[in-house]
Amino acid sequence: MAGRASDTGLIDELVRFGSNVARAPDMVPAPDEVDLEVTPHQVAHTIDKVRLLHYEGAGEVTHRTPIVIAYALINRYHILDIQPAKSWVRNLLDQGYDVYMVDWGTPSNMDRYLGFDDYVNVYLDSCIESVCDEASVDSVTLQGYCTGGTLATVYAALHPDKVRNFVATAPVIDGWKDTTVVSNLSKHVEVDKLVDTVGNMPPEFMYYCFSVLKPFEQGIEKYIRFFKNIDNEKFVDNFLRVEKWLSDTPPIPGELFREWIKNIYQKNLLVNNKMRVGGRVVNLRRIKMPVFTQVAVGDHLVSPECSMPLHYAVSSPDKTLRLYPTGHVGMIASGLSQKMVLPEMGSWLSKKSD
Amino acid sequence: MPSTRANPQEDVSPPPDTDPQEYYKHLSLFWTDLLYLMSSKPQALSSTGPMRTMASNSKRVASEIIEINEDLAGFGTHLATYYKQLADTWTEAQRKVNLKAPDLPQDPEHFEAYKRIWIDIFDNDFTELFDSEEFGANYGKMVSKELEMAKHWNNMADVVLKTANLPNRHELDEVYRELHSLRRRVAEMEGALRRRRGNGRKSK
Repeated sequence: MAGRASDTGLIDELVRFGSNVARAPDMVPAPDEVDLEVTPHQVAHTIDKVRLLHYEGAGEVTHRTPIVIAYALINRYHILDIQPAKSWVRNLLDQGYDVYMVDWGTPSNMDRYLGFDDYVNVYLDSCIESVCDEASVDSVTLQGYCTGGTLATVYAALHPDKVRNFVATAPVIDGWKDTTVVSNLSKHVEVDKLVDTVGNMPPEFMYYCFSVLKPFEQGIEKYIRFFKNIDNEKFVDNFLRVEKWLSDTPPIPGELFREWIKNIYQKNLLVNNKMRVGGRVVNLRRIKMPVFTQVAVGDHLVSPECSMPLHYAVSSPDKTLRLYPTGHVGMIASGLSQKMVLPEMGSWLSKKSD
Repeated sequence: MPSTRANPQEDVSPPPDTDPQEYYKHLSLFWTDLLYLMSSKPQALSSTGPMRTMASNSKRVASEIIEINEDLAGFGTHLATYYKQLADTWTEAQRKVNLKAPDLPQDPEHFEAYKRIWIDIFDNDFTELFDSEEFGANYGKMVSKELEMAKHWNNMADVVLKTANLPNRHELDEVYRELHSLRRRVAEMEGALRRRRGNGRKSK
């Protein structure tokens, strides 16, 4: 682009951009000042640092079977309730569902020996039992997102009697088929040495993994777009909420991380029905309840090839696989999720939730 | 490490065909070990308090420092490769951008198009790099060396903590492990109690 006289329009554009950057601090709150709590909720149950949140809907609950959402281990649950117009939780409440969410909390050094067994057979089980008691039901609809989808899959295989319906949203299932950068790094890391030396996986390591995902789109273009749209209140509000959510990731307990990398990414035991949790083999063929698998075609964190094998591994006679033209976050917190993903999920669940 | 020189007292440089690093490591360990043995008895008589273990501590710290230097050299090699991979990819991506958008007019529309091309090519090329076997392998080795250095640092910190009579990392890990086991037992007992209560309610 060198050697030509600059267009006045381009100079105007640059001046406007500079002005937006200068005005930004006066026009928008700092990410720290943004409150991510959107839908009112009660803490229905706690166990160690794990909390079970029970959301309060404006309308009536019309489906008897409650939905328990197992959020991922990376970042926090707020993305599923990021803002009223894009809230996964609020949409389900509006469809007449009773919604609970598992907040895994922030592990400290004391929690470094927590593994799959603790997360699945103690924490998730305790939350589901608590919901069953509160709602007077024998089983729930379990939904798991991302790594939470993996924990939920293991739970559904080990405790099928407590799961009436299972919704897996971008779950990590077949580590060898995952084509993402995260998977490549996971295969080369000496996980035993890593965990023995640093204990819990620190957030900085997670940030490194995120930084290698579309680094220029996410590291440059995104912020240019933010400053260009500084006068657009809706855009700015959504941007700040997502940014704050992205920057808040708790450490991952060391043992859980070790099992995750070894058993799923390096040895690929889960999809081959060879993974052991709490002394028991996790056999995906034991999942016989209705299963709904949601996959995003443009997912660069958990590739579709990694999630889809769940659909073929379970022995449920009633199973549905849906692919959506969006990304990992777009599937749960976007206009598309409100218009397409959630209505389809709600409609699939409605006849199975009474 | 037996000497191959006729008169070793006349020369302190490494013998030929010997890795200098190995030689100086051996030399350092030899003298710290020997000095420790020579001084242990008089030292035991004369020293008190935290200084009592100074000789053995200094031996431990010395060997950790020697080993940390070895790992630092290895880490440096992998770090250089890491930055070279990034720099090479940058150069190649910029070359592709230059080929694709050689001489666009400088107006907002073309500037936007140029930016889009730049970001797409850079994202694609860097993703290809991060996905590659070479990058993954070097990254894995670099992290491994970094962890080795952290281990030596932890070991040195352990020596200091022990001197101050404070629990070290290994001892704290034991406490965490024990706590984990206790919490697990409590959770299992609570679960059993809850199930028993549930069965009781059902039978009524």
